Amino acid sequence: MPITPMEVYKLLPKTNCKKCGEQTCMSFAFKLINREKKLEDCTPLFEEKKYAGQLEDLKRLLQPLEEATETGLIVDEELCSGCGNCVVVCPVHASEDPKGMGSGFGPTIDDPILRIEDGVVKVIEMMKCRRYGKNRVLCVACRENCPSDAIRFLEG
Amino acid sequence: MPTCTGCSCLCPDIVIKDSKVFNACRKGSAIFKHCKENRAEPTISGEKVDFGKALEKAVEIISSSEKLAVYGLDTIPLEAQEIAIKLAEKKKAYIDDSSAFCLGDFVEMVLKGILPTTTLDEVKSNAYVIFYWGTDPYNSLSRHLSLYTYYPRAGKRQRGYEEDRYLVVVDVRKSHTAKLVKKNAKFIKVDSDEALIEGFLSTMDGKAGKYYEETGRILKEMQRGGFNAIFGGLGLKYGLNGNYEKFVEMVKRMNELTQVYFIPAGFHANMRGFNELMFEKTGFVNRYSFESKKSSPEYEFSELVRNDSVDTVLVIGSDPANSLPFDVLQKLREKRLVLVDPKKSLTSKIAEVVVPSAITGIDQGGTMVRSDGVRIEIEPLWEAEWTDEAILKELLGEVK
Ligand code: SF4
Ligand code: SF4
Ligand code: SF4
Ligand code: SF4
Repeated sequence: MPITPMEVYKLLPKTNCKKCGEQTCMSFAFKLINREKKLEDCTPLFEEKKYAGQLEDLKRLLQPLEEATETGLIVDEELCSGCGNCVVVCPVHASEDPKGMGSGFGPTIDDPILRIEDGVVKVIEMMKCRRYGKNRVLCVACRENCPSDAIRFLEG
Repeated sequence: MPTCTGCSCLCPDIVIKDSKVFNACRKGSAIFKHCKENRAEPTISGEKVDFGKALEKAVEIISSSEKLAVYGLDTIPLEAQEIAIKLAEKKKAYIDDSSAFCLGDFVEMVLKGILPTTTLDEVKSNAYVIFYWGTDPYNSLSRHLSLYTYYPRAGKRQRGYEEDRYLVVVDVRKSHTAKLVKKNAKFIKVDSDEALIEGFLSTMDGKAGKYYEETGRILKEMQRGGFNAIFGGLGLKYGLNGNYEKFVEMVKRMNELTQVYFIPAGFHANMRGFNELMFEKTGFVNRYSFESKKSSPEYEFSELVRNDSVDTVLVIGSDPANSLPFDVLQKLREKRLVLVDPKKSLTSKIAEVVVPSAITGIDQGGTMVRSDGVRIEIEPLWEAEWTDEAILKELLGEVK
């Protein structure tokens, strides 16, 4: 399940004290999930004892963020059969490697976003993913075409 | 580039580097990863012997057999299959493979021209509506959609699946493949395949039958596409229970409106190769007796064993002990059993003689026939001393 800003918000101090550099706790929650902010930026959480319980819950909730790549893409190798659907549908692969991945074959370039290694999908060059960086778009092609839900995105 | 022989997709783009396998699916990569593990050893009655002794014993057992069955054969190259068929002929033996309980019927209909067919390369470049009928390729033929059918951009279909393909999945349950049905696609959950076939026929007659909405839309899409493919699997075979006439009629009628081709979904790497060789030689694809010169359901391997129609069994590249029903397995234990296979298995445990062979695409090369009938030359990574071809040549030459 993707983590929602609301879930995060509920566990924050909700004082809108702006110490994190954000106008509101809600916008801090958004940025946390997008990894533009770190939990440590909300200093009251760590300084005030009364938030200790919430802090623990937040850490647990945000655990998957640590495991995810910077695009928020999480792959579960256990579920993956190596069908290659995700590799072939990816629009970045299709335009950069039309004769290879775009045509259904393995990559002929050295730095694909995803490739199949030892029968399961591996994230190689996430910086190329359309979900990454300032001009990102909400591409979901790889996840949409994974029959076994082996690909997830943190932000949904 | 290495070719994977994990299934009849025969994926041609496998890369092996730094002891990693690239591009093969989970099932295929396991073949490369574990190719050196669990290899068979030459044995007689479970005792390890040298290779020559095992081969000698195999010759002796097969020579003294009166009623021999040759079985397996779907994972070895054409060149070796051909010799195995000659051996069966020489011994007036029965010969069979897995296709009788797999998609042998569909291969036969395609070879006889009862169903019009095409190649996966043509599908990749041209096909618009792509049916998966009674098959879940995600699990058994994992790269079928990504390499050959729905996802690749090729030829006339450069714009990708969302615009240039239309997916139809027909199954009794929502399979993994059915989960891919989003926009520009249809999943039809059937109780009876026949009802859907009738539905298509009614729609083509201009009548509103069952599944009216789906069939109407799909037929329109097919006409729009101009080139369409149906991949039929085990679900369709068992759903129709041997009565293929209506299905054949449906495909024929569809072809009056547009082009529609049928390709058996897939199976063991070279099952179709065996079916083709048998068909060329005998006019039948499997379950054949070189004594009575015909094919019969009674000559299906499990039936031969169950009914004690054979005294000796030569198994090549297969593990029947792992799949036979228990009562038949008990019967198999009573037969003299010679196994030619590269791996230890349940069958190697009960075989009187084991002659270790090679794995196609790993330590032996040769030709295999893809699910669509295209012949693929397979290069080995290295050459084993004893390939299936060499072993079978020896048996054919020596056996009386
Ligand atoms: S520092 Fe914490 S409490 Fe203050 S606004 Fe930011 S998130 Fe809210
Ligand atoms: S999200 Fe889009 S761009 Fe990123 S890897 Fe998946 S398909 Fe490619
Ligand atoms: S689509 Fe899913 S199952 Fe297929 S290779 Fe990608 S992650 Fe694995
Ligand atoms: S789809 Fe079949 S041939 Fe292709 S890699 Fe997988 S097992 Fe091997």
